[in-house]
Amino acid sequence: MNELVNELKLQLIDALNLDGMTPEEIDDNAPLFGDGLGLDSIDALELIVLLEKNYGIKLANPAEGKEIFRSVVALAEYVGKNRKK
Amino acid sequence: MTIRSYVKLTSDRIVSDRPVPCFSGTGRELLLSAFRASGISYPKFHKMDTLSKAGFLATEILLEGSDGRFVPREDRAVILFNSASSLCDDRHYCKTIADPGNWFPSPAVFVYTLPNIVTGEIAIRNKYYGETCFYVLPEPDPESICRIVSDAFQDRMTSSAICGWVDCTDDDTFEAVVFLVEDCIYEENALHGGGMPWNMENIRTILNK
Amino acid sequence: MENRTVRVISDNIVSPLGLSSGANWQSVYRGRTCLALHEGLWGLPEPFCASLFDRDSIDGECSGAGLPDGLTFFEKTALLSASAAVRESGIDPSSESVIFIISTTKGNVSLLCEPGEYAPGRETLHASARLIAEHFANPNMPVVVSNACISGLCAQIEAMRAIRSGRYDYAVVTGADCLSPFIVSGFQSFKALSPEPCRPFDLGRKGLNLGEAAATLVFAAEECCSDSAKNSWIAAEGAVRNDANHISGPSRTGEGSFRALQYVMEAVVPEELAFVNVHGTATPYNDEMESIALSRAGLSEVPVCGLKGYFGHTLGAAGVLETIISMKAADEGCIPATAGWRENGVSCPVSVSNECRRTEKKTFVKLLSGFGGCNAAMLYRKGGER
Repeated sequence: MNELVNELKLQLIDALNLDGMTPEEIDDNAPLFGDGLGLDSIDALELIVLLEKNYGIKLANPAEGKEIFRSVVALAEYVGKNRKK
Repeated sequence: MTIRSYVKLTSDRIVSDRPVPCFSGTGRELLLSAFRASGISYPKFHKMDTLSKAGFLATEILLEGSDGRFVPREDRAVILFNSASSLCDDRHYCKTIADPGNWFPSPAVFVYTLPNIVTGEIAIRNKYYGETCFYVLPEPDPESICRIVSDAFQDRMTSSAICGWVDCTDDDTFEAVVFLVEDCIYEENALHGGGMPWNMENIRTILNK
Repeated sequence: MENRTVRVISDNIVSPLGLSSGANWQSVYRGRTCLALHEGLWGLPEPFCASLFDRDSIDGECSGAGLPDGLTFFEKTALLSASAAVRESGIDPSSESVIFIISTTKGNVSLLCEPGEYAPGRETLHASARLIAEHFANPNMPVVVSNACISGLCAQIEAMRAIRSGRYDYAVVTGADCLSPFIVSGFQSFKALSPEPCRPFDLGRKGLNLGEAAATLVFAAEECCSDSAKNSWIAAEGAVRNDANHISGPSRTGEGSFRALQYVMEAVVPEELAFVNVHGTATPYNDEMESIALSRAGLSEVPVCGLKGYFGHTLGAAGVLETIISMKAADEGCIPATAGWRENGVSCPVSVSNECRRTEKKTFVKLLSGFGGCNAAMLYRKGGER
């Protein structure tokens, strides 16, 4: 699990251009959107692409993302359960 | 109309009548080093395409330390021109859909496939509710730029404009020439501001600096 | 000079629904649409619902109209529309007093993925503009407005200003965009497309449809109009305002649209308006935002109509096309029906109908919003002075 959390953090930094951030600086349980990491709606769409590209997970409805993108830990749990690659 | 100040930022230099941040390297390295040296905290900068980064950074240098910065206003327009539109980012987007077996169109890249996004980035950063518009011309033609920006002041709300030429052909080749123009008659020895008249000759001179 | 009245002296729409403004208005009046689901088209992995031209019939029209060989599809549609409108206007397009203003978001962008036989550089927007201006032997540097989905109104506002300032007497404004995997996949990645014909302002709206079209308006200074044009439509006011909020998401307070509406409504009262022709893309956020802006501007009681259920979102053409349809409708005393609407699905009250309503008023507002946080409104009126 920790390994997946770390892997996802690196992918977030790369795909969302979180320049200069290190995985250690992303709090495992902090919200990805709003006050936490400060991501926005375009980042959410880009995260959907990331899930499909790297893990074969298709999210048809961006609204589903709300729960999944709650925090890096929540994201890792979802990916762990639903990954196809 | 009066040009209050200007900035010309290219792949290898920054020329301005305003203080210029230190930078190193050329192309994307210049953009990043100048952004860091200017001490601006704005993580969204790193998400922008090169066209937006160049226009955004040139405008930051143009406005740094100006009175009433970030106070929301509707009387300032952002009117930019170029010849390559968003082609640099368009090419990046094409790569995300080039291979049917690896088809992952990127929304974060697609959103920048419109040249006017840079005007929106400047409006968002500075809280400008005024007019924003982007024009594409065959070349940096001082006559068209002078006329279109002057015409924009027919809007009764508009009293000043960030305007100029912001072009990008690839991630290491770009040019951003931005002017702060105000709707007042230029007076030599004026107590406030100084500057020079908004006319074709001065636009041409600064474009060619 | 800045008080010159600017009038519309001719217009044209080339869309899948017809090749003239009249034919397009008749299609709207009869509730026709070419919105259809396209599966497997252009090798796209996902189906999409859009209003597309029949390529072969456009080729046929171009030969018939005597357009040169070697044009891209985008250039064909733009030139077909511009030629028809210029011919009808009777102006001399090669005169120095005429400026060509092209409104497009992506022009020939499909050449980036498939260059075909075209020389490098043909994909630039100014190459298309130059080709159009040269077709008419116009000596002035053509201008392209590329301001996302509000380009068609920005181009008209620039035309109005260029004539008011006295620099030009006539302006030919052509808006055009055609679809390709580039544009369709981008909107798909934004999860913005509806799998069925779109439903502006409806409770069950699921997103937008894209559409192809080219449309042209020719404007003239009042004193250059023939007597018969002295009662034509006037471009009275126009404003562009930014949300200063987000580059892709509409403002939650309708900031830019509200401010643009407020500006163009300075000289009129809401009771004078026949209708507001909204952007009405049928995405959840856009229509909600527009309802808020209309309400803030005191226009909740004014009839509202949207045309995306007939044409889809025609991008750079939308501002020109939807303005022309609004003019044709008002000419015949109609408020166009909003195709796809059944039940109100926005938080502020708006007066929408899926049936054609009657009006005697000859003043309307056109509203648009786009990526980059931009919004535009224009006020048109028919008859006397502006």
